[in-house]
Amino acid sequence: MIRQTLLLAAVAALLAAPAVRADTVEASSTTLLLLGQEPRYRGGSKPELVTVAPVFEILTITARDIENGFSDDLRIVLSTWGAIDLAERRWDAGTNGGRLSGDVTTGYVQAKFLERRLTLRAGRSMIATGVARMMQLDGGHAVVVVPISRAQLSVSGYAGVPTSQRFQTRDGVKSWNPVGGTLAYGGRVAVGLPIPGIAGRGLELGTSANVVTDGDETVREEVGADFRLQPFKRSNLTLAGFGTFSLPERRLAEVSGAVTVSATSKLHVTADARHVEPSLLLSRNSILSVFTTSVWTEVGGGVTYDLGRGLSTGVDLHVRAEPGADGSGSELGSDARARVSWESGPTKAGLELFNLDAYANGYFGTRVWARRTLGKAFVTGDVLGTLFRDDVNGQGESITGTLTAGYQLPLGFTAVLSGSAGMTPYLEQNYDLMAKLAYNQTYRTAEVR
Amino acid sequence: MNRFALPTVLAAVAGIVLAGAGCSLKPQRSEARAAEPKYVFPHAPHVEGEVACVACHAGIADAKKLEAGVRHVQLPKTPSKDDRCSGCHDTDVSVEVPARSDPFRIRIDHQQHLAQVKDCRTCHQKLPEVGDARAPAPPMATCTSCHTHQADFNAAKCTPCHVDLKGYVPQTAFTHAGNWTKVHGSMARPTAESCAACHDQTSCAECHASQVTAARPSVIFPEAVDKGFIHRGDYVSRHIIDARADPASCRSCHGSAFCYACHTEQGVTSSAVNVRDPHPVGWATDTGPNGHGAAARRDILSCAGCHDNGASSTCVACHQMGGVGGNPHPRAFLKRHADEDPTREPMCSACHTFAP
Repeated sequence: MIRQTLLLAAVAALLAAPAVRADTVEASSTTLLLLGQEPRYRGGSKPELVTVAPVFEILTITARDIENGFSDDLRIVLSTWGAIDLAERRWDAGTNGGRLSGDVTTGYVQAKFLERRLTLRAGRSMIATGVARMMQLDGGHAVVVVPISRAQLSVSGYAGVPTSQRFQTRDGVKSWNPVGGTLAYGGRVAVGLPIPGIAGRGLELGTSANVVTDGDETVREEVGADFRLQPFKRSNLTLAGFGTFSLPERRLAEVSGAVTVSATSKLHVTADARHVEPSLLLSRNSILSVFTTSVWTEVGGGVTYDLGRGLSTGVDLHVRAEPGADGSGSELGSDARARVSWESGPTKAGLELFNLDAYANGYFGTRVWARRTLGKAFVTGDVLGTLFRDDVNGQGESITGTLTAGYQLPLGFTAVLSGSAGMTPYLEQNYDLMAKLAYNQTYRTAEVR
Repeated sequence: MNRFALPTVLAAVAGIVLAGAGCSLKPQRSEARAAEPKYVFPHAPHVEGEVACVACHAGIADAKKLEAGVRHVQLPKTPSKDDRCSGCHDTDVSVEVPARSDPFRIRIDHQQHLAQVKDCRTCHQKLPEVGDARAPAPPMATCTSCHTHQADFNAAKCTPCHVDLKGYVPQTAFTHAGNWTKVHGSMARPTAESCAACHDQTSCAECHASQVTAARPSVIFPEAVDKGFIHRGDYVSRHIIDARADPASCRSCHGSAFCYACHTEQGVTSSAVNVRDPHPVGWATDTGPNGHGAAARRDILSCAGCHDNGASSTCVACHQMGGVGGNPHPRAFLKRHADEDPTREPMCSACHTFAP
């Protein structure tokens, strides 16, 4: 908490000081009032409905290229929110009780040194590369890029505490972070081999390691390898792959690969495959981690095609091999999606169909949406219906609809009113209302040098 | 510091920042860009007439930087009497060149470049004509015809040449086409620093940092009907099906305690104040395919949504050594861990006792 407070004080001092100027400052503020119902079980034969009415204030400020005397591209990013529950507490307010809640979604300071070859970042951020798998932590991250002949060596390292909800407990049992724990550290070493041609053409090979501990217990110990290859001079055909190995369990936790290519200017094709052992995503200090070795494998791809006149369509199909009833063998399932979207002037509309056929259950769904801009006003509609293969809570279908209207006010403000209603397996009838006042603005100074 | 202090500090910080920014910086609004005047000078006949660019853009050869509002245009006041113009212009033409304030999106030293390139048309292959709203920017291929940018691209060194990459659409590498939502993780994992050239982490966190966000994106942005948010509508009814079909997908963003927090409110965890048993009759004792053992072997992450309590899990009560539950480990488990010292593994001692 002390570290976070110091970080915020530093942010405030840097941005408020008249001597400091940033080339670009983006600021957004969203005031949000929600009114709706949530089920609560307080004993008896069925849950009761309670009314929730949280008010949120969400603030995001990004300052890039802040002029300073010691680094390049000094950047400060802060995204935060606070909320008060005017009626019953909503369920995701945290786990401490009380009507006030708040959190820092993202908050870091980043600077580049040594002709931008060294990047240092401190604060609350995500580690996206390698085996860290988008782990969010409160700590530091350093990346250094060293040119070696025509290739380049990239070495990165990080250390910190996996981020927990609402600044509450960070231990693996109670943190909402999928890699809860009290300390995380790791890094990645990669070699990039640029090939002359279009920007991005080349090969990137990396190997990485990630360790997370919870007190003196191990949460994760993984090593991994990844690559990205864009081989052709004029085609954007791109291949990428990733594999991770659990050191405590001595087996592959995940192997995945993907290919994308724009076959023509209108036709885009993707293909991907993934093999994963979900139990290895549990903390090693969970007793549940020693019960199974079941595996999931998924293979599939998708195509999108621009039909012209604002019309585009896409289809995705993935076939999945799931474990059988007792965790052994495999059962085939599929996940299919199709969509058509249309845009003409101020109007957008779309139709989506999706079908999941899995071992445990499945569903077929349809979604229809539209948006129409009327000068500074806009209206949107969105209806989503689902038919379940096997009943969920005794009901075979679900339908929800949302109508939204908004108006662009002066000075970068937008006012939005939204209402949704539906009949679902958990709520015979439900409604939600939302009122939003959003401010989005980009400020620039010293635009060009 | 108490738990309410931080939001208060954040609000104060935000207030300071917004107030400071509002006082010293001018916002860039879409209305301001739309109000930019159209071009009034016919470039094409002057290029055909081989009029030197510096005849009108005299100051550009000395410009070390581009500046908003500075266009380096100085038209001859009396073309009919100017040797460079009088071959075509018999009479004086009055052209009022309007001021422009649009910021430039790239940074370039014309003095340095013109000293080596000489011909402006090497980069400026298309020029604005009368009525055009904007001057066509030289394509990046003109830069890469001299500069080798592959290394910079891989190192995500887009600045300082680009002011930023906001608003640019990737055309070659990282084309966000097709089912980009599905494959973006695979593509980003080896080169996340390249993604960071366009995307601040606030963009990633909206979806990937569920433990600290205010609410899911489809709630905050109901008007964004064309976005591919995965938790739309009545997702709570679908989540149990999705979780069993692809448990690893949920786990990439949600820890067990996230599930547990809601399941406790619904009374379906063993530690809830009022408990309702979500399992069918015989769940605990059935050793066949309809019992809890088979379900746990198949999909332990669904169990974790309510029972992931570390060493104090409810499983231990029956499955500890000598308990009625028997050995819960899969066949390969003991083989894999045969050479380990179980006394050094805290989880082992949750069920096993070891002689001193």
